[in-house]
Amino acid sequence: MNVFYGKASELVAKARNGTLCNREREFQQSSGCVLNFYLTVRIPTIRDAAVVFHAPVGCSSSALGYRELYRGIPAALGRPAKFDLQWITTNLSETDVVHGASGKLATAIKEAESRYRPKAIFLLTSCTAGIIGEDLEGTVGEVQPQVQARIVPVHCEGVRSRLVQTGYDAFWHGVLKYLVRKPTKKQNDLVNVASMLSYTWQDRLEIKRLLGKLGLRVNFVPEFASVEDLEQLSEAAVTAPLCPTYTDYLSRGLQQEYGVPFFLYPSPMGIENTDGWLREIAKHTGKEKEVEDLIREEHAVWVPKMKKIRDEFLSLKGDGTPLSVLGALGQGRLLAQTPYFHELGLKPVAAIAQDFDNLVLEETEQLVRERGDFPILINTFQAAEQAHLTQTLDPDLTLTCPFQGTAYKRRKGMTRIHALRGDALPTSMQSGYAGAIACGEFLLRSWKAKSFQQTMVEKTEDPYHPWWYQQPNPHHYVPEEAVRSVSGETR
Amino acid sequence: MTTLTSVAENLRADQWPVLEAPRWSCALGGALTTGLGIYGVVPILHSGAGCGLGHQFGMTYASGENAGGALGGTGTPCSCLVEEHVIFGGETKLRNLIKSTIELVKGELFAVVSGCVPSLIGDDSDAVVREFAGKAPVIHVKAPGFKGTSYDGYELFLEAVADQFLQARPVQKRAINILGVVPFQHLFWKGTLAVLKATFAKLGVDANILLTEFGGVENLRRIPSAELNLVLSPWNGHRAASKLEERFGTPWYAHPAVPVGPKQTTRLIREVAKRLSLDQAVVDKVIAEEERHAYRFAEYFGDGLILGLPHAYFAVVADTPTAIGITQYLTNEIAYIPDIVILADNPPEAARPAILRELTEGLEVVNKPEVVFEADAHKIRQKLKNRNFLFLLASSLEKITAGEEYSAMHHSIAFPSYDRLVLDRTYAGYRGGLALVEELTSKWVGPL
Repeated sequence: MNVFYGKASELVAKARNGTLCNREREFQQSSGCVLNFYLTVRIPTIRDAAVVFHAPVGCSSSALGYRELYRGIPAALGRPAKFDLQWITTNLSETDVVHGASGKLATAIKEAESRYRPKAIFLLTSCTAGIIGEDLEGTVGEVQPQVQARIVPVHCEGVRSRLVQTGYDAFWHGVLKYLVRKPTKKQNDLVNVASMLSYTWQDRLEIKRLLGKLGLRVNFVPEFASVEDLEQLSEAAVTAPLCPTYTDYLSRGLQQEYGVPFFLYPSPMGIENTDGWLREIAKHTGKEKEVEDLIREEHAVWVPKMKKIRDEFLSLKGDGTPLSVLGALGQGRLLAQTPYFHELGLKPVAAIAQDFDNLVLEETEQLVRERGDFPILINTFQAAEQAHLTQTLDPDLTLTCPFQGTAYKRRKGMTRIHALRGDALPTSMQSGYAGAIACGEFLLRSWKAKSFQQTMVEKTEDPYHPWWYQQPNPHHYVPEEAVRSVSGETR
Repeated sequence: MTTLTSVAENLRADQWPVLEAPRWSCALGGALTTGLGIYGVVPILHSGAGCGLGHQFGMTYASGENAGGALGGTGTPCSCLVEEHVIFGGETKLRNLIKSTIELVKGELFAVVSGCVPSLIGDDSDAVVREFAGKAPVIHVKAPGFKGTSYDGYELFLEAVADQFLQARPVQKRAINILGVVPFQHLFWKGTLAVLKATFAKLGVDANILLTEFGGVENLRRIPSAELNLVLSPWNGHRAASKLEERFGTPWYAHPAVPVGPKQTTRLIREVAKRLSLDQAVVDKVIAEEERHAYRFAEYFGDGLILGLPHAYFAVVADTPTAIGITQYLTNEIAYIPDIVILADNPPEAARPAILRELTEGLEVVNKPEVVFEADAHKIRQKLKNRNFLFLLASSLEKITAGEEYSAMHHSIAFPSYDRLVLDRTYAGYRGGLALVEELTSKWVGPL
């Protein structure tokens, strides 16, 4: 579900009594589909693999940065010195649409095999391949005996779902079905952790550092993983989340098929959340005692720093009241950020999340119970809706979603919600204890200078007519009638 | 006479082969980004939800790390089609979207760009767009991704403007339109157009560059008043120019490249001057002044160049109009030696003989470069191995291998380039060569 605006209490009540419905927007903006840009920019980062886009040429254009990804990270920080990333498009034409393109797909797979000698070949599908009825599995069955690489079909046609998160599920389905091996040995010190676009190299290092102190190793997947990393998912002691939506399908699959336990909450954002995250991992790895020592040790270092940040935030307004803050993205951030903002001495005024489903229902209820009710806007990157909410609530500090063109233009405080994977700067970290402090300091820094955002709001034109901001409803273009209910929808 | 030219691995223009990372996107991507480049146009995508945001990564960021602006990225109105539209049709969704966009988004021309999905499911998007006739200026650019490349998307956009929006106007003397500089695909489109417009202004020629100017929709309206359409590519913009000739009788002249430095810019000016019958004395005066300045500035780098790194071999991998301009400048003005030129934009067969002439007869050098038409990134990577070049002027796709595999200094000059920010920068025009030399020299120069 990705259409809702109202109180969080109302959202959970509707979800509980089955009246939460998706509705068709009359005004909508491009927000990413199941394939694009989500899988397109992630799957080609898997090392010793190749990707075949079974699609017209445009569907893979967002992967054009593939050769440069992760290269900005110094090898001294643990990035492999030599690696190759590669993808091919079947470059579907009108002729292919009319006559079918399974021959071309087979050619692409064989070409990928002979060129790159990959361990795995991921096939990513598109709207066009889906609508013309390409028999993906048939082609895979035919070609697999002729190639050494394991072929992993991923059904990620863009039209398949309103929810971009469906792409992750489709991908994990392929990984579970075609790539994950039957455990040959149990690796009791191995922890599966999802690595994502919005988590930087330093986040990885912090997570490695913390789990390393417990004598555990991290298996980061899928971004920049090796095929071996994916194959051994079944042998891990536990699957831990960074974002629950992202790893949900994988976590459940690994438990169901191979008995790998998992948890979905919390994510390691903020001190309290990181404590909880480490304790959950410790439960599954027999490190209950060690984890308490670790937490104590870490608190001694980081909690005083957090107090300093909190004091500074609370001093900014002059009257001891906290700054109001608006920011969220995926479901994971929706839930993890609120307690973290409270640690920082910030007051969240509302939440924005890309989608909402029963996966996060209980946790959202708990959040309302513990922290009080709050307005929530559920949408997938809807720039006009978010501009409206931001202008209406006018928070002291807005953490902007990327790629919205105008979201950074504000008179009040503003900064990015997160950095991206290729960022190797310690100041861009957000995870674990060091990340909680780095991010707090980063947010403080954003308060110190505002000239760019203020100049831009003054000197450039807003794309929407003024009436948009003069009426109260960011969902002005969402009609009331139901289109289909959430309960029947496959995520 | 034999040349080292090889077309053995060339790509037949009528084929759509399997490719690693071709340096273009689809027709929808080209039409969308052309719309984004004309200020006052509001692109409306009738497509899957990812077709807009995907191109923020795949075209605008790929073009020197540029965002698409307020109406790019997640700002582009889009019908975000899903399965139920595939089954029941997307026309209602499109109708509501056009209506709400006109109400909500500031703009003077609304351009519906329809992609693969409506084309495959047989939506009558034309009929929906026609419903708005008389209410608001709305055009329909049919640009399914499987029907063409982003280069085609540029043509489709301008053809739709010509067919659905433009009306005849009296011809204005010494007014020209500049076509063929495809936004975002030509990395330096913004600066190139601005510099050439300013150069033509010195000659009393009013150059309409369509893109990057406020009043972009008025720029479109006055397209038919041009005396000449100047097309700066041996193959881009030709369809659009033909369409304008057919509709308004405007003659057109296709120049082989985006001109870099004095020699090429003078050649361009003389070609245009001939066609517009410009006053010879004025033309000569402008050329003399511009050349004098450019070469006086060349004296600042000349000494260091000859001492530090003369006669360097270089390789180019780029779209054709960029590749010709840069290769001719470095060869004909700097006396660098072209080793290999790879044209990665798949120009049509018919255009290739003239392109080859520019890169052989058009070069003042004893050894002609090997010229290859190749769009597959893997094959390009192989083709660059075991050669002499010291500089590799290419896309940022070649950045990593330049050092690791070719021991060459790499510089991004073509799409896609994710490793540099390109705003006003251009190598076009009289002083553009200086900018190129500045950047290349900065790669190796140090204290003497």
